[in-house]
Order: sequence, then structure tokens, then C-alpha cells
Amino acid sequence: MTLATQSDTFIAAALWTGFAALLLTLLLGLQIIGMRLMLRRRQRSDARALARWRPLLNAAIVGEMPDSLPPLRRAERLPFLRLWAHLQGSLRGEANEALNEVARRLGIDAYARGLLVRGNRPARLLSALVLGHLHDREAWPALLRMAEQPDNTVALTALWALVRVDPPAAADYMVPLFIAREEWALSLAAGILQQATEPAAAALTRLLPQLGEDKLPRALRIAEALHLALPGAVLGAALRSPSMPVVIAGLRGVRTPETLPEVRALLAHADWQVRVQAARALGRVGERADAERLVQLLGDREWWVRYRAAEALLELPALSRADLDVLRASLTDRFAADMLSQAMAESANK
Amino acid sequence: MNTEHVIVAFVTWFVLCFFVALNGGYLLLNLFSLRALHRRGQEQFLGDLPRAYSGLEPPVSILVPAYNEEATIAASIRSMLQLSYAEFEIVIINDGSKDKTLEVLQREFALLPFPEAYRRTIPTKEVRQIYRSTRYPNVRVIDKVNGGKADSLNAGINASRYPLFCGVDADSILQRDSLAKVTEPFLRDPTMVATGGTVRVANGCEVSGGFLTKVGLPRSPLALFQVVEYLRAFLFGRLGWSALNGMLIISGAFGIFKKDAVVLAGGYRPNTIGEDMELVVRMHRTLREKGQPYRIEFVPDPVCWTEAPEDMATLKNQRVRWQRGLAESLNANWGLMFSRNGGVAGWVAFPFMLFFEWLGPVIELGGYIFMVFAFLTGAISWEAFGAFLFVALGLGILLSASGLLLEEMSFHLYPRGKQLLMLGLIVILENFGYRQLNTWWRLVGLWRWLRQKEATWGAMKRKGIGEEGAGVPPRGP
Repeated sequence: MTLATQSDTFIAAALWTGFAALLLTLLLGLQIIGMRLMLRRRQRSDARALARWRPLLNAAIVGEMPDSLPPLRRAERLPFLRLWAHLQGSLRGEANEALNEVARRLGIDAYARGLLVRGNRPARLLSALVLGHLHDREAWPALLRMAEQPDNTVALTALWALVRVDPPAAADYMVPLFIAREEWALSLAAGILQQATEPAAAALTRLLPQLGEDKLPRALRIAEALHLALPGAVLGAALRSPSMPVVIAGLRGVRTPETLPEVRALLAHADWQVRVQAARALGRVGERADAERLVQLLGDREWWVRYRAAEALLELPALSRADLDVLRASLTDRFAADMLSQAMAESANK
Repeated sequence: MNTEHVIVAFVTWFVLCFFVALNGGYLLLNLFSLRALHRRGQEQFLGDLPRAYSGLEPPVSILVPAYNEEATIAASIRSMLQLSYAEFEIVIINDGSKDKTLEVLQREFALLPFPEAYRRTIPTKEVRQIYRSTRYPNVRVIDKVNGGKADSLNAGINASRYPLFCGVDADSILQRDSLAKVTEPFLRDPTMVATGGTVRVANGCEVSGGFLTKVGLPRSPLALFQVVEYLRAFLFGRLGWSALNGMLIISGAFGIFKKDAVVLAGGYRPNTIGEDMELVVRMHRTLREKGQPYRIEFVPDPVCWTEAPEDMATLKNQRVRWQRGLAESLNANWGLMFSRNGGVAGWVAFPFMLFFEWLGPVIELGGYIFMVFAFLTGAISWEAFGAFLFVALGLGILLSASGLLLEEMSFHLYPRGKQLLMLGLIVILENFGYRQLNTWWRLVGLWRWLRQKEATWGAMKRKGIGEEGAGVPPRGP
């Protein structure tokens, strides 16, 4: 009796599970078919919209702005915006302005501002992109609110738009934000700030002296990514810092010979990562007289120090190929000679 | 109730619960994948916008281990040279090939010996010579003594110049934008240490100039089964774990790693079959032990296409190797399981892999055999036996169908109605024999791992796709 009961329970449990799986499979099947039908319908509708608008936008791009534009139908709005944003991303100069004029004449700016506030996530992302291209100042407060959202994609798209709307104001807002938000990759921050290099440089120069050693390395790395030449006093202070990350970040930012004495002093630093960056910095700003210092580094116990020192030697001004051949022949340390040979071969093959 | 009845009742319930838990676990992963793909869909237009290189993209060293690849190596490297990416180098590692791989490379890429001060960060077999192409400054070839794929990759890591490296199989067919897609998480998140992309079955597709030009379905039923299998494995297996930062495998066919993190973990483990998985599991273990924040992410976009075996013997060999690789990877990294800082990788993903993937074949096949035996001996009724089959097959079909749903909501690479219908049919059919056969092969793999047979380069019978063929298949599902 007990076994029979157990068996009945087993059969019931298995059957119910099986039926549930079967029902879910059927629902998934219907969902797949439904999605395929919807996709087909959307593709057809998008194709119709693009067939109508692509020639008009192309004409505007080549300077043949139509006198009158047909009304933008409701169903056409999203495919139009995607096409418009795509063209904006592919073109430069007058063509961008022509596209902006078309968009304004169609009332896209007002429509996008509405979407930015009331739209769903993809609509807000698209509208931020559009408003950025349009340099739409009215969208500034809404974009600012969007930039403060925890969703990284949403926040970064809003920041991208802000920097296009008002580069100086955006740089003032973003530089401290990018320094603070360490979870955002430097390349992303620098990619956005590249649109406002000068205001970003001004903001960074103002901020750097006030930053503590925990924030300074990231600020210096942002400056480096933007290829900013920082004032010698700011950089010199970083190179004299007791903090290793600050020194390393400072060395990466050396672009002028103002801090040459500090760089030379760091060639003998106990930390090999500092020596690597000091060798690279010397390659950028060093003089012929620094060759001897770099030759010393060719014998360093760390491979990367030797490699960067060899590369730096090749970058030093007034050192000819013949000078380097003589130098290589004079090296008694096999590791140093091998490294210089490698760097010379790489340089010859570039 | 006597002992025999108690045992029968216990085993039947255990087997049923195992099937429900296994498939339930995967369905849960499916939900995470659904969310990830939904968000990806919302952002897709951003990714589709014209890409302008900012100069801030991290340069990548592409490492291509090659063993007896004379037939395909030149075409593969030529197609890799056409990848759309700001800055990359290609390092081919000739692992003591017995054919003319090195001669082909020397001839096709005008190689000359290069005076490289080779750096042995990770110990490897002896490097005989390093060559550099005089035609393509970003192509180098390491000629070394045979030591296996892992050893070759370690030599490539030693010689690589850039902070990221990408391990690629010599026969992988890559998408032109594959590097850009799979490095994107590194731009977004500074703690990213490894990323992998979706590998798809290339059988039935058209290839031109080393790139895929038309997606199609294969005619071979075995390859068709694998199309669905790959959808299931990549679109919810890996994407689901990735959402939880618990992904334990990145396919050796195409994966990008931060070099520092790999060197910290000790590089690839030589003499292993599953060197790709073992490295990822060890990276989880090492980084968690050191308390270093990190992320390992999966990019669902199809970035790499590979030829799937179309004959039983090759397919069996592949699956046996995968199972051995899995066993090696888990066995070498017990320290991750339930470790203090183990997180999702140590507390969920590792035990899941251990119970459902490693030991799974034993329970699964044992379950089928037991139920058949119990039915034949009258220990269970035909109703109970039928109900068991109903639930086992029903859950399997549901799982495969959910893989197809994820494909349809994300990439819909198979645009024709007929293709969708065919995939739908395969979703059902693969549960009647193919999956059970796979389970048997995995059991064989487990047995061979226990016998500790020595690891070697895998060999695969090639049929060829379009203009090119295949070689060592990637770890798939």
C-alpha cells in the first residue's frame, strides 16, 4: 500500500512536471513565432520609412536642402532617428549641421526632449544621443539628471550628450565626476572628455593642487589620456610625492623637459615600475646627455626596464643609427646588448 | 515495505529530482540571460553606430598556437590581419609541427629571424627562434619545441607586447569586428580580467576571404544537433553565469585576457586538455584568494565560427576530451569550492559544475539504466517509467527551446522561416538519442580522466567550410 502510494506520488509529480515543461515549451514556441512575425513587420515598416527619408537626408548632406519636408509620421520616428544618428556619427562638419537643420525643421528636438523625460530606457538613450548631436541647450537639466543615474550606460550616454551641448560647463561638471567614479574606465572618461580637451585641461589644472594622494593618480591618468601638458609645478610636485602611484602617474604625464631633473632622479628608484616609466619619460623629453643614464638601465634586472630604456635610447634626439651601432658593440652585458638589438630591429621594421 | 522497495523508491525519486534540479538550474540561468539580452537589445543601436577609434583602445596581442596547420595557417593569419581594431599584433606559435607549417609561414609572410630578447615570465619548452614578418610588422612567429597547446600559449604570452592577449585557434573563423566587440567590456570596466564571445557552428555557412559571408544551416543531422547545442551552451549557459560573475569557462577558440592577471595566476597549465577552462577557474581562485576585485564577462555576440564534427568518431573524441578537460579543471582547483571569499564562482558555479556537469553523466546515464532495469524487472510500473521519460525528455526540450528563444530575441542569425522550422524540429529530435549519446561520451571522458591518459593536441577530421577547414575544435557546450 505504501509503495503504491509512493509510486502514485512519483507518477503524479513527474507527470505534472512534464506537463508544465510541455506547456512552457508550447508557449516558448508561440513566443518565437510571434517574435519572428513582429520582427518581419518592423523590418518592413522600417524599410518603408528609410526609403522615404534616406534620399531627403542624403540631399541635405550634399547641400541640397529641400524647401519643404514631408511630415514625419508617428511610425517613422524611431527608424528616422536611428538613421539620423547613424549618419551624424559617420559625417563631419557642414553635413552634421545640415542634418541638424532637417531635424529642427521636423520638430525632432522637441520630440527627443519629450522622450528623454517620458520614454523607456532605449528611447531615452536614443534621445540623449540625438539631443547631443543637436547641441540642444534646453535639454541640459534633463541630461544632467540622467547623468546622475546609477545605470552606467544611461549615465555615460547623457555625459556624452552634455559635452556636446556645452563643452566648458560639461568639463567643469565631469572632471571631478570622472576622478571620483573609479569604476568607470579611464578610456571611457577620456573618450568623452576628448570633445572638450581645453576646458577639461583648465578644470584639471584647477583641481590637481587640491586633490589628495588617493585621487591624484586617476586625475593624472585622465590628463595623460587627453595628452594634456600639465604645468611643470603640478607635475614636479607629483614626481616628488612619496606615493608610488602618484609618481608613476606623474611620469606617464611628462611631456616637456621642465621636470627633467626629477625624471633623471627617478631612474634609480627602488621600484621597477617607477624605473620603467622614468625611462619612457626620458625617451620623450631627454637630451643626448641622457644616453649614458639609459645605457645603465639596459642592464636592469627587470625585462621591461631594459626594454623601455632601449626604446628611449632610440627616441633620444641626435643619436644616429651609427651611434647606436657603436653603443651596442661597446656593451659588455649580453642582456643589455640583446635588448638594444631587439629595439633597433623593431624600430627598423616599423 | 522491504529494503528493495525502499531502494527503488529512493533511486527513482533521486533520479527525478536530479533531472528537475539540473534543468531547473539551467532554466534559472536562462532567466539571467534573458535579462542580459534584453538590456543588450536596448543598447544595440549604440553599438551599431559608426565606430571611430579614439586611440584609447587597449592594444591586443593575438596568440595563435599552431601544430601541423600547413593547410590553413596562411589563410587564417591573412584573415586575422583584416580584423577591424585600432592596434594589434599577431604572434603565431609553431609548436614543433611535423609538417611544413613553419615553411609555409616563412614563405607567405616573408619571415626573417628577429633578435628578440625573449622574456621567460612563464616557463615553457625551449624557443628555437623568433621570426618577424618583413611584410607585416605586427606579425611574429615563435618556433619552439613541441609542448602542447597550453605551453604554446604560455610562450606567446611571454613574447606578447600588449596588456591584453587574445587566444585564438588557428582554424577559427572570426567576425571582422570580433576584437572590438570582445574588448568592449575592458573599456567599460577597469576590473575586467577576461572576456569570451559566442562561438557558432560554421557548417553550412559560406566563407570568403577568411570571413563568414552567409549564415546557413548544415545538412548533416549531427552538425544540426550541434547548432542547437551551441545556442543552448553559449546563449544561456555562459551568459547566465556571466551575469552572476560565475563564468568558469572561456572558449579557447576566442577569448581575451588581461596579461597581468593571467601571469599572476601562473599562465596556462601545461599538459592539460582543458587548458582554457582550467585557466579561468584558476583565475577565479587566485583573484579571490588575493581579494582582488575582478570581472570575467561573456559577450553574447557571435564573434567566432568553427567547423563542428560531422562524423560520430570525431564528435565522440571531442566530447570525451571536453569532459576530461572539465574534470581536470575542477580537480586542479578544489580550493575555490566553498572558499571563504569564493563568491558565486566558489559557492554556486563550481558546485553546480561539479554536481551537474562532472558527476552528471554518471547520475543521468545511471538513472536511465536504472529506470529501464527497474521497469524490465517489474520494480516500477510502466506508468512510472513512462512518467520518468516524459519529464526527462520534456525538460530537455524546454531547455533547448529556450536557447532558440534567446537566439530569436537577440541575433536571429537564421532569417528564413524554413531555418527556424528546422531548428524547432532539431530542438525536439536532439532529445531522442543525441543527448543520451553525449552523456555516454561524457561518461567515457570521465573514465579516461580517471585513468589519467596523457594529454595531446586534438585532431579533427576536416570536411571544410566554404574555402577553409578546421582543426582543433573549440570547447563548446
